[in-house]
Amino acid sequence: MSEALLEVENVSTGYGKIDIVFGASLGVAAGEIVSVIGPNGAGKSTLLKAIAGVLRCSAGDIRIKGETVANRPPSEVARLGLAYVPQEANVFRQMTVDENLTIGGWVDRGHVRERRERVLELFPDLRVHLGTRAGNLSGGQRQMVAFGMALMVAPSVLLLDEPSAGLSPKMVAEMFAAVKKVNATGVAVLMIEQNAIQALDISHRGVVMAGGEIALIDDASALLASENVSELYLGTRR
Amino acid sequence: MNLQLFVNGLVNASLIAPPAIAFTLLFGVLRFPNFAIGGYITVGAFMAYTANVIFAWPLVAATLFAMAVTALVVWLSDVVVFAPLRNQEPVTLLVVSIAFSLILENLVRLFFASDVRGFDIPLERPIKVMGARITPEQLDILMLAFAITVAVHVVLRFTRFGKAMRAVADNPVLAQVRGLSLRWITAGTCALAGAIFGLTGVFAGLDLVIEPLIGWNLTIPIFAAAILGGIGSPMGALVGAICVGMAEELTILVLPSTYKIAVGFLIIAVFLLLRPQGLFGQPEIKK
Repeated sequence: MSEALLEVENVSTGYGKIDIVFGASLGVAAGEIVSVIGPNGAGKSTLLKAIAGVLRCSAGDIRIKGETVANRPPSEVARLGLAYVPQEANVFRQMTVDENLTIGGWVDRGHVRERRERVLELFPDLRVHLGTRAGNLSGGQRQMVAFGMALMVAPSVLLLDEPSAGLSPKMVAEMFAAVKKVNATGVAVLMIEQNAIQALDISHRGVVMAGGEIALIDDASALLASENVSELYLGTRR
Repeated sequence: MNLQLFVNGLVNASLIAPPAIAFTLLFGVLRFPNFAIGGYITVGAFMAYTANVIFAWPLVAATLFAMAVTALVVWLSDVVVFAPLRNQEPVTLLVVSIAFSLILENLVRLFFASDVRGFDIPLERPIKVMGARITPEQLDILMLAFAITVAVHVVLRFTRFGKAMRAVADNPVLAQVRGLSLRWITAGTCALAGAIFGLTGVFAGLDLVIEPLIGWNLTIPIFAAAILGGIGSPMGALVGAICVGMAEELTILVLPSTYKIAVGFLIIAVFLLLRPQGLFGQPEIKK
């Protein structure tokens, strides 16, 4: 795998003065999908928030394309090509779908029209809802808007927090297909998923988090084959 | 209905609508009800008075000066007073803003005393329309208030800055994650709201008299209009201003005019008890 676009080195982070994640290190290279799996409360979402600049790091370093971003405002992190899609509150509910996509395109103003067209090709359902307020859409459609808005950033690193949460099985498949398509263009994807098996199926590598620490990093196929991981985190016995 | 009361109500609404919209814009971005609006309006009125009467500038230039200074005061007050308290509960910031309003009002009193003053403009005869009288200044206020309301709507709907303001009001974390700079948008919103408060000071000085309490007398009706329309909804603030402005004038039919100010309090109390989200606001969901 080529050099990492996103590097996380010994990061400790949390809320206020209380750390939830301790000394996490990982890297994601261009064109790679890395899935973070683990039980609830393991610190997965907290780690993603720290990478996006939403939470402060009490220790460690985060680099995008070699540039340190730890503890910089989220707006600056975004301008370096990182697009983070939170699990909840991930769209501007009072604004139309079109306005949501437009705002996504403000970070990098080149080729906005082409990017918008690509997003609408990826999620054709959105085309008929461009004038609808995002808050009036179904959960699945909102998730598409959130993902689409992130793609409008023209990201080199994409952080997805539970992109399939609350979606129907058909939509989950569509969402993972979209992640794969985007990744194929060279975007580095770091994704948290409860749907761990499906996530690992499309991932190159997997990260297992437990108790705020990274317990294991391995090839996705190796994690899927591992009996321990299956039993503990994937909800299957083999 | 008596046409004169209707005209008076409309003029009253024109005084309330622009600052109510500005108040709601500030609330959207700063996330607390900034009660210092009274102080800002007083600063606006006295800055315009200084330029118009002391420096002998024409009223239009004095108005622009007042708008610029008030914009600066609103922005500075946010940077110096409110930003360091950003992590506190909104009620703390509300109390601080009341205190800050009193400070501004008394600073004005320190330099200008409590005398009643007026702009240096020629006295003109009121225009008569179907028996109702309206002064040329009131007509200007009416038209300018309408123009400002339309302009704010256009800014919010069609400009990049307006959309950014709406995005921050809607979801501040996501707005930052999408690359919007909270610092610049907050500064821009303060400047826009400040310019509107400054202009309101001039309007109030034209319609009434200039004195240090000029802003405080408008604070309750502005707050009532914003609550009635739904805090955070600019269009709601406009509808709220028309309702409050009309209601204040209509009470004159049944009560002495000194009770006018009670209308605002009554509207605030009724809406906070029965429909705190106002007519057009979104109910806040707490998890």
